[in-house]
Amino acid sequence: MKNNIPSFLMDKRASEVVYENKRIRANFIEKGIGSMASFMRSGHIQWRSFLKKGFFQKLDARVKLFFLLLFVIIVSIKKEFMPEVLIGGIVFLLVVLSRLDIVRFYRKVLLFGLIFGFIVALPAALNIITKGEIILPLIHLPRDYDIWIYYIPADIGITREGSRAVMMLTSRVINSVSISFLVLYTTPFPQIIKALKMLRVPDAFLLIITLSYKYIFLFIKTIEDMYLAKKSRMVCKVHNPDARGWITGRMALLYRKSQGRFEEVYRAMNSRGFSDDIKVYKHPGFENRDRVAGAVLLVVGMLLVVM
Amino acid sequence: MENILSLESISYRHQEEIVALDNVSVKVKEGEMFAVIGANGSGKSTLLQIMNGLLHPMSGNVTFRGAQITEETLKDRGFLKYFRTRVGFVFQDSDVQLFCPTVLDELLYGPLQLEIAEEEAMERASEVMKMLNIDGLKDRPSYMLSGGEKKRVAIGSVLTMNPEVLLLDEPTNGLDPRTECFLVELMLDLSEAGKTLVIATHDLSIVDELNARTALLSEEHTIEKIGPSDEILRDEELLLRANLIHEHVHYHGKTQHKHRHSHYFSHDH
Repeated sequence: MKNNIPSFLMDKRASEVVYENKRIRANFIEKGIGSMASFMRSGHIQWRSFLKKGFFQKLDARVKLFFLLLFVIIVSIKKEFMPEVLIGGIVFLLVVLSRLDIVRFYRKVLLFGLIFGFIVALPAALNIITKGEIILPLIHLPRDYDIWIYYIPADIGITREGSRAVMMLTSRVINSVSISFLVLYTTPFPQIIKALKMLRVPDAFLLIITLSYKYIFLFIKTIEDMYLAKKSRMVCKVHNPDARGWITGRMALLYRKSQGRFEEVYRAMNSRGFSDDIKVYKHPGFENRDRVAGAVLLVVGMLLVVM
Repeated sequence: MENILSLESISYRHQEEIVALDNVSVKVKEGEMFAVIGANGSGKSTLLQIMNGLLHPMSGNVTFRGAQITEETLKDRGFLKYFRTRVGFVFQDSDVQLFCPTVLDELLYGPLQLEIAEEEAMERASEVMKMLNIDGLKDRPSYMLSGGEKKRVAIGSVLTMNPEVLLLDEPTNGLDPRTECFLVELMLDLSEAGKTLVIATHDLSIVDELNARTALLSEEHTIEKIGPSDEILRDEELLLRANLIHEHVHYHGKTQHKHRHSHYFSHDH
């Protein structure tokens, strides 16, 4: 083969190191891949939090799922602000007892609360949507307008009733998210699936979420590898149209790979006797600790309902 | 010979949690053939990705021809071009590496990025295709290639940039014996042409064939030993400790027989 080595491969390159003092900024792909990597990291952080010997980690997954369902229902049916604050306090106490990283936990909860609670509900604070007493006037128009099904008054502002509705919705979202995160951060995923099986959630649904959860991590790893492979051949700034082209091609490859993968997994499951039914080995019985904790949470929940 | 790549006291953890490399120091000389061997999960691929500036260590220093390889230095446009054109990486999974519509596009990607004239780029691509016996595949998309063909195209896509250093991650993994033999010969020829080759593998037979200076990574993610391949491959105790060979029991007729086994060593009866 010796004679086949092309002559350009024999060319020696200048070895002096070259700097231009012009910086390349990270493009949107790099930032996106960075976010995915941090998602993977958060999976590991979650795994670490399961291992902490806190109050909630020691409880049976069924008790925790019961707590999740009960408290999310209570959060949704309460119409006053005070019970919501009280529920927030109880969840905070449980987070502390479960020895979770409070700053990291509430940073995530507040982010979700801000996006899905406050920002989504904010227009409801205006008198265009919620009628009532204006406490903060914002715009004055020359006259009232009727546009399609909307009535726009001349004075637009934030109403007392509207701001109350926004506060209620935001506090409900924050409470629901913090309750869900508390359970997710203190219960390994396989235990959640087992507990759902005990609660007679359909097998097809459990199978889909189990495989999806696994694939999210697998495919994030594949995407990360694809990006590294591109990065290793990148010698200059990538322009956005090229980056979009690369993403499209990679999406097609990922689709093909995932299609191949799920067919293989399904065949592997069939070859090991899968019959559309998830079998779980016997769930250990409740311990006294689970019974007491379940009863206390039930009593607290009932007290909140009658409040 | 001058050190072309130098890693000093490198430590790296995946997801800031799982140890991949622990206080690893390696120096690769210009023009040499260097192999990194170790069991699965010992950190070979991570070490190669750090050498290519794709991952950055939590502690320690990486230099290429004396210049620091860090996240910061690779943000400099001139240095990025300098480094990426001189150090090429061939990934274990060729699928992740091939992203252009056809084989020819794949081979032209590097030279065109380097702003090499189209005519010269085409010439490079055609010479590399001839060398790798893939000239019949130039208009094919990568998903219509076999595993061996994909590997050749992946190597070709890096070679058209004429790198000084080639980092190959498990180059013969999953290939048929003929393609494996072809790749070993290619690596020897590239080495003879003056290229520096760093190969991560757990295939001891190719390390022997390549006669490479070898670094053995332990399962504790540290460097167990660096030395000539024959010295390392002869040390059965060392290979056993690194989990590259194992004790194996089998029968000859009715006689039970126990010996150390790998797919590299033969044993005497």
